[in-house]
Amino acid sequence: MEKIKVKVCQGTTCYVMGGDVVKSILDTLAEKYTDKVEIVSVRCFETCHKQDSFSKAPYVYVDDEVISSASVEKVINAIESKLSDE
Amino acid sequence: MFIDIDCAQIKKYGQNAFGDYFVSKRTDNQERVIAVLSDGLGSGIKANILSCMTSTMRVRFIEEDIPIQKAAQRIMDALPVCQLGEISYATFSAVDCRNDGSVWVVEEGNPTFLWMRGNQEIEPEYQEYTSPKFPDRHLKIYQFKAEVGDRLVFCSDGVTQAGIGTSGYPIGFKREGFLQYVKECIAKKSDISSTELSSKVIQKALSVEPEEHAGDDISCAVLYFRNPRKAMVFTGPPYNKMKDREYCLSFSFFNGKKAICGGTTANLVSRELKRDIINLPQPQSGDLPPVAVMDGIDLVTEGILTLTRAAEYLEREELKHKDAAGQLVDFFLSTDIIEFMVGAMLNQAHYDPTLPIEIEVRRTIIKKIKKLLEEKYFKQVTIHYM
Repeated sequence: MEKIKVKVCQGTTCYVMGGDVVKSILDTLAEKYTDKVEIVSVRCFETCHKQDSFSKAPYVYVDDEVISSASVEKVINAIESKLSDE
Repeated sequence: MFIDIDCAQIKKYGQNAFGDYFVSKRTDNQERVIAVLSDGLGSGIKANILSCMTSTMRVRFIEEDIPIQKAAQRIMDALPVCQLGEISYATFSAVDCRNDGSVWVVEEGNPTFLWMRGNQEIEPEYQEYTSPKFPDRHLKIYQFKAEVGDRLVFCSDGVTQAGIGTSGYPIGFKREGFLQYVKECIAKKSDISSTELSSKVIQKALSVEPEEHAGDDISCAVLYFRNPRKAMVFTGPPYNKMKDREYCLSFSFFNGKKAICGGTTANLVSRELKRDIINLPQPQSGDLPPVAVMDGIDLVTEGILTLTRAAEYLEREELKHKDAAGQLVDFFLSTDIIEFMVGAMLNQAHYDPTLPIEIEVRRTIIKKIKKLLEEKYFKQVTIHYM
């Protein structure tokens, strides 16, 4: 089974809006999903350039799904929902 | 040639002000360097005032090409007279040199400077002038041509007299000790920077003082004529997207060290040059986003936050940080000529009023960094807006 890829934007806007906190909490939770999820930082998605379409930073991608105003809870929910689909 | 210049100093033990004073300035479109190291009579605040006035005035007079004898007289007349000693005095070494290697040095009272080619000393000829008003004061004037790799090393008598009266150095470290130590340092590291060499010399002088307490103000200034180390920083996407490729190519062909500051900028360089951005699985960089890696690029960081923090470090002279901004500061300080390619495209999201902190405008920070690097760290900096 291919791992779910969680990508946390580390661009300026996302970082200021809490992307770094989301990333560090996800890192601490990573053990729980070790075999199923890969959590990585990304320099910048540039999603904030299109914020009219995607609401607010910080942005996290769970595979191709964009999570705006990302919180740890939102990301975990998205991961769980993907896992239950599989 | 680029003239790498720095000075390191230690105060006399127990004093709260430096009695030696060092001033330097780059002028004439950065091609000319003027520097003065002055040692005020005595120590502490009185000496500080004398040496500060002497060096500051001396730099101005040299800059304005006022003849040295005339300048010397004006400075003597201007210095405040000590009520106890009824004299006013500060020795000095002044140097005026250009990127083509032409050097003019004038000394009065300071230990004779070292002109080093590799680790060999060259003894230049000089002319001597005596002040008509103060017959015991002699000016030595040198004029010569330095070559790539040459160094001029100046010191105050705190170096040559260090350790005086101790069993190891009964008559002090002397100029011979100073010369020998400089030779050793250059022999060990032929490209030693002015910052490192000046710092090593004062530490050596301090180490021979009894209990490592400086018996006088100790200063060492170094000028190093070398081929310039160049660097380019690409930050911010160009205003005209059509020119992304052109700018990326000129960045990639640049002959020197390269840094990218900005996520969007890193993405566009990655896209145009077809090089991946590798985010290392590493902890956060303090409270800044971590650095990334790209083939052929020496440093890839986030943009505004990192640049803002780097400017703070440069301003406060905090040069030991290891986070992304600290690495950017290292990048700046390990070069001589820095060119910023600054994209004018704005990211509207940075001006969202709900952001918890105010994000500075890129141009403002770059201008601030340029000013700091030029005035505080003697770098040559240019900004090219895209």
